[in-house]
Amino acid sequence: MKPSGWLFMALSWGLIIFLSVFSFYKILTKKKVD
Amino acid sequence: MATNRQTWGTRLGIIMAVAGSAVGLGNFLRFPVQAASNGGGAFMIPYFVSLFLLGIPLMWIEWTIGRYGGGFGHGTAPGIFHTMWQKNRFIKYFGVIGIFGPLVILIYYTYIESWTLAYSFFALTGKYAGVATEGAMQSFLRGFQGLEHNQHFSGIGVAYIFFLITFILNMWVLYYGIKGGIEKLCNIAMPLLFVCGIILAVRVFMLGTPDPSKPAWNLMNGLGFLWNPDFGALKSAKVWLAASGQILFTLSVGIGVILTYASYLKKGDDVVLSGVSASSLNEFAEVIIGGSIVIPAAFAFFGPENIQTIARGGAFNLGFVTMPLIFQKIAYGAFFGGAWFLLLFLAGITSSVSLAQPAIAFLEDEFNLTRKKTVMIFGAATFLLCQPAIFFLGRGVVNELDFWGGTFCLVVFATIEVILFAWVFGMEKAWEEVHHGADMRVPGIYKFIIKYVTPAFLFFILGMWFVQEWVPLLSMKGVSGADRPFVMGTRVFLSLLFLGLAVMVKLAWNRKRKGGAR
Repeated sequence: MKPSGWLFMALSWGLIIFLSVFSFYKILTKKKVD
Repeated sequence: MATNRQTWGTRLGIIMAVAGSAVGLGNFLRFPVQAASNGGGAFMIPYFVSLFLLGIPLMWIEWTIGRYGGGFGHGTAPGIFHTMWQKNRFIKYFGVIGIFGPLVILIYYTYIESWTLAYSFFALTGKYAGVATEGAMQSFLRGFQGLEHNQHFSGIGVAYIFFLITFILNMWVLYYGIKGGIEKLCNIAMPLLFVCGIILAVRVFMLGTPDPSKPAWNLMNGLGFLWNPDFGALKSAKVWLAASGQILFTLSVGIGVILTYASYLKKGDDVVLSGVSASSLNEFAEVIIGGSIVIPAAFAFFGPENIQTIARGGAFNLGFVTMPLIFQKIAYGAFFGGAWFLLLFLAGITSSVSLAQPAIAFLEDEFNLTRKKTVMIFGAATFLLCQPAIFFLGRGVVNELDFWGGTFCLVVFATIEVILFAWVFGMEKAWEEVHHGADMRVPGIYKFIIKYVTPAFLFFILGMWFVQEWVPLLSMKGVSGADRPFVMGTRVFLSLLFLGLAVMVKLAWNRKRKGGAR
């Protein structure tokens, strides 16, 4: 894999992991649906 | 106003259910091929642009209008559209697409889902052990599908049994409703799906160079095939179309299932953060897990020349021919093969129950039928409707159903939704509605994006697809003479189905008018 390939993979994974962690962190620190 | 409609048990429950609806076979089979064939790593540029300008806005729109309509007792698009534009007598008939589309997809999707259940059984019991070439594995698949008789299968009997099991499982889940059925299923299936996916991705990442005599056939080069960017591809409209199409398909927006699921929310439940969470789960399954299994593994075992042919062979070939061949070449292949097909089955069943729910919600909400009666009627009708996809498989029926339900309806319905939301309902009112109970503010720029950019994007896709793909498909280009009657028959059937659903909408509204209800 070329360095640019690694970069795109890392950026894509990073963005998605950030979105996932961010959203679930915000959910867990808020009140749940009752 | 709303009567005692079902509600979701927990916030995580609906997120898992929407993510379950979104995560399907396409995450693991369609995405990797689309990315590899459309610029590799560079594909992620139009992909993420489409996610933020098309996918997530549509996700927010569907969650919002679903919750809004549910507050008036409507769980499907005819009623929801009507509450958004009450002055217009006809808008509810456009909403029929939101019941028609999911139903049309369901009637072939259930059969394909049953293949994944069958193949998990075959993987674990060694039924395809020793089937070592692509041609032989294709023959195995064709024998299973009843398209040929061979030493593995003498007819469609085994496939039909697995279809019956899958169908009954779906109905069983639907019988127990939103909280007791769908939510419970997704709370178990989705974590299990991610566990299977991660196990498989890790196993693929440990492949290294399976054949030392072919050092170029290795995992790193396989990942490179998917991720190395070809920036020249970005100049092609085809690539942007492929990326935006993939986003629409993968998030399941524009089908009508998310707005049905959201109709079971309460008015004060958040849709913004929940919509982002469900989308991010889908993207995790697609980009991280989906991007780490089939293409890298196929490259490592079949090499750079064959990978092009494999990628062009289509999703079914990849999933049911290439992958079983690969699993037979690795230690504990039966376990990993079982995990692969279980992954696909879990992705499938969490999607199929969502495809069924709009029709069920329609009968419950608009005709006041009990859930038991609804599931029985729906089950009987759908069982019959599923038969053509099974017995006319090689005749172009599935392709036709997939086009109308899974492609045409999707982009038309998404366009109607966004126009209704931003231009008829009105952006100010819509913005306020989105933020009821929200745990996160939508960035202000989305007021502009939802009103102008998302619709423009959808019109672009609609126009390009119409010219490039739909005109040849409608004229049955490439369909053999022997298959034409089946394709025409499917079109007649779909027209009658749409008409029948529209008549049911009219009957439901007449009923309500006589009863004095809204």
